[in-house]
Formats: sequence, C-alpha cells, structure tokens
Amino acid sequence: MKILVCISCVPDTTSKVSFTDDNKFNKENIQFIIGPYEDYALARAVELKEKNSEIDISILNVGLSENDPLLRKGLAIGADRAYRINSEPNNSNFVAHNIASFIKKNNFDLVLMGKESIDYNSGLVHYLSGALLDIQTFNPVTYLEIDNNNVIIKRETESGIEKIKASLPLILGCQEPIAEWKIPNMRGIMNARTKELSVIEPISVQSSLKHKKYSLPPEKEEIKYVDKDNLEVLINELKLKNL
Amino acid sequence: MSTLVFIECNKSVISESSFQAATIANEFKNEVYGITTCDDESYISSLGSKGFDKIFIIDDFGDFYAIKEIIKNNNIKTIFSPSSNTFKEISSKISVKFNYPIISNVLKIEKNGTISSSIFTGKAESHIINNNDSCIYLLNKNIIESRDFDKKVDIIKVDSKTSEKISFEILEQKFIEEDISLNDADIVISAGRGLKGPENWKMIEDLAKKLNAATACSKPVSDAGWRPHHEHVGQTGLKISPKIYFAIGISGAIQHLAGVNSSKTIIVINNDPDAPFFKAADYGIVGDAFEVVPKILSSLD
Repeated sequence: MKILVCISCVPDTTSKVSFTDDNKFNKENIQFIIGPYEDYALARAVELKEKNSEIDISILNVGLSENDPLLRKGLAIGADRAYRINSEPNNSNFVAHNIASFIKKNNFDLVLMGKESIDYNSGLVHYLSGALLDIQTFNPVTYLEIDNNNVIIKRETESGIEKIKASLPLILGCQEPIAEWKIPNMRGIMNARTKELSVIEPISVQSSLKHKKYSLPPEKEEIKYVDKDNLEVLINELKLKNL
Repeated sequence: MSTLVFIECNKSVISESSFQAATIANEFKNEVYGITTCDDESYISSLGSKGFDKIFIIDDFGDFYAIKEIIKNNNIKTIFSPSSNTFKEISSKISVKFNYPIISNVLKIEKNGTISSSIFTGKAESHIINNNDSCIYLLNKNIIESRDFDKKVDIIKVDSKTSEKISFEILEQKFIEEDISLNDADIVISAGRGLKGPENWKMIEDLAKKLNAATACSKPVSDAGWRPHHEHVGQTGLKISPKIYFAIGISGAIQHLAGVNSSKTIIVINNDPDAPFFKAADYGIVGDAFEVVPKILSSLD
C-alpha cells in the first residue's frame, strides 16, 4: 500500500510576520517547520506503517531547496522517500495542479495532507487536488484506521462528527487528534541520510490572480481597562455597542 | 449577469454568514441568486428582505450535478460563499470544472477590483488583482454587517436527477449538542489554564448560557483533556471571528492570538497584569477569574 503525505514548510507558529521593502515575506530570523497539520498526518502514516510493514510512505513538498532539511526530518520520522517539486508554492491552484500531476504519475492509494497550511491558510489544496483527480476528499479528518481496502475515518462537519467507511483511493486533510506528533530518534536521523530525496521540476499553471502586495492588519485601538469592582462600566459599553 | 450565494442552513436556520454574503453580492449591481438545502418554503420566500432575487432549493449539497447545471444554465461567473468546509469542497469542484479562480479568507472586495484576504492566520493581509471576469470568493465571517433589502424572491425547487456515485458509507453521526456552534456564535467565552482544572468550567458555561454564547478553550486545556478538542481555538485549532471574544485565564500566546485576532471586540480577564493578551484586547480586567466571572454573572441578572 502506497501512502503519500504532502507537507508544507511554514514559519514556526511563534513567528512574527513582516515583509521586506520589495514586499516579500521576510524570512530573516524565521524558523521553518513542517506544517503542524501535516506533521499530524505524517505521524499517523508512520503509526500505520509500524503496524503494517507493507505500507510505503512517500512525502512531497512544493518548495525550494531551503526545505530539504525539513524533508530529511520527515524521512527521519519514518517516511521511506521524499520528493520536492522545485518551485515556490505560488498559490493553492498551482500547488494542487502540481500535486495532482505527481499523484497521477505515481499512483497512491491514500494521500494525506494537513487541513490547511498555516502560512496562506487557504484550506483548498486537498479539495482542489481531489477535484482535479476525481478522487473523494474528506476534511478535516481526526481519526484514521485502515481495514484491508477500506478506511474508517472520522470527519468534523458543520453539524458534528461523522464516522465514515470509504474505499481507496482517498485524499484526506488531517487534524489533531489523528495522532501525536513524532520526534525523530537517532536511528531515524542516521537512516534518513541515505534515503532518496528526488527533485522534480514543476508544471506551469495559468492563473488570473496576480499578487499585488502584502500588508499588516490595522493596529488595534488602545485597550480600555475596567476595574474589577466596577464591571457595570463594561456591561454598559457592550450594551451601547448593541452587543 | 447574476451572482450566486451559497446559503448555509443548519437545523432549518440560515446562518448570518450567508446573509453577509448576500449583502456583499448586492454591492455588484447584479441579480443575486442563492442555493440552499433549507426546504421551508415560507421561510425562504421571506429572503427577498436579505437581498435574494431567486433561490434554488436542492436536496443536498452533495448533488454536484444540480449545482453545476444551475451555474451553467444561468451563466453564473461570480460566487460568494461562507467559508465552511462543505462550500470549500463544492467551490473547489466548480473552480476546476469551470476554470474559475478561487480565493479563501476574503476580507474585502474593492471597487477597483483589489481583493484582500487574510493570511498567516490573521497576522497579515494579501492584496490580489483578478484578471478574469469570473471568481469564487470564500468570505471570512463578520467582515460586513448584513443589510435588509426590499426584494421579492422567486423560489425554484430543483429535483435531484442524478445520484453521483457515492463511494462511502456514513456509519455514525454525532451532532454537536451545544445549541450554538463555535463557528456561528456571535459571542464566545473562552478559558485557559488559569482556570486550574476542568471542574471549574461551570461558571464559564453559565456565562455562555446567559449571553447566548459558545464556549472555547486554549490548546493546553484541550491537550490536557479538560475540554474537547473541537473547542480549541488558535493557530492550530479553530479560527473564529465572533463579535465578542472573552478570554478568561488565557495568557495570550501568539499562537492563540492568531486564531482569535479577527474578533470584533476582545475582552481579557487575567490576574497577571503583564499577560500578553492585554496588548491585543479592547477591554481588560486585571483580576482573579474566580472573583470576576461570578461578578459579571450577577451584574447581568
């Protein structure tokens, strides 16, 4: 069984966001990590492999060579091989087309992604990839078990949680508590050095969306402190605002 | 040319986000059509007042064939939608099928064509130009107040013609017990480790009940199992933008702020005057939650 885990490489969750004078994301002093949701997805794939050694795990990233150390980390956590599509991840549509074209060539049974990347947050890449390939997509998935050719998942919906039995192939957008994050051990790190990391050139994708500029959100107004013994002030202000 | 709005309906109630989408659609001087699964025709017929000219009632948003036909037959090129996962999935299929550009987390669509969207979980904004006459906008909640209109709505019932192949089976469904879902709530009462233990959530729930609010929590709290995971708001949890967000005993780590920073009004209650959350708050109360929350409760009586 072949599992593909698509990972984003994103600024650490504690990062302060700023932009350079030529309006690019300022990467200086920023620590990059595997996206937290993809980290859950990869951890679950490795757990499944621990129970069934016939599972083969590939990881895929759309990004530049600066991401290679994070792909090595994914290999150290337990993936068997890594692929990188050599381009900035320009937008969801571009990334989805490139992932879909890769999946088409390499035939995977199960594709895991995060529910969204925490940099551009579109939450669309799994759905767009599924639409491009006509593969059933579920998101966000909080539980995953494989049972022969079927998988049992739980997905959150607007009205609650559904437990679903579905047949492969599938694309899943993952979210906690699907697994606990894994930290690579020494043996994993040593093994990762010799695992294969292949670089693939991207396909070009037409887009009518042109990025103009980035900005920081408007500053908040000064905080108003309310005395804990005089809470009526707060209640009245909220009422005034019609809240 | 008409625009289309996806209308979200939960337990026969249409979400405020859907009305906000209709208000935005009306700014473009076109007829505004809606698609819904709500089959309460007398309720739907009143929605001219929310800015709809025509509403299609379909059986299920899983019926992509019906949605596709509506778009094709009405030459729809612009879609405004609340950002639910159901609509993200349908919008992605439309984007691929019709080759329409799609944008998530939309904050603003300016008259000159610039589209602003929220990125880095609300820590920044991206401004985009679209060189196409079509677009699917997935709108953030509460970016606008919905308005009332003086329109009369046509209702069209769409019979399901095809059953698209369904390759899965729903084994079990658990519905959210809370009356108000965290995503839809106008007011959210959120608490953190400052509450010391799960047994102390009663006052949070009481306050939520009194204010018709939903309850939420910080990541350490859901990680510790004090509250369910679906209540976790923050960068790796749910992103919310209610009208009022109460943060009680939450220090305000950057990851937490990222999930709530688009709330209209933030009220922080913390006994540590240096808690970073105060920097992001509109109102701050320095004090012990166990003293302040009961006081708020009694002053609301």
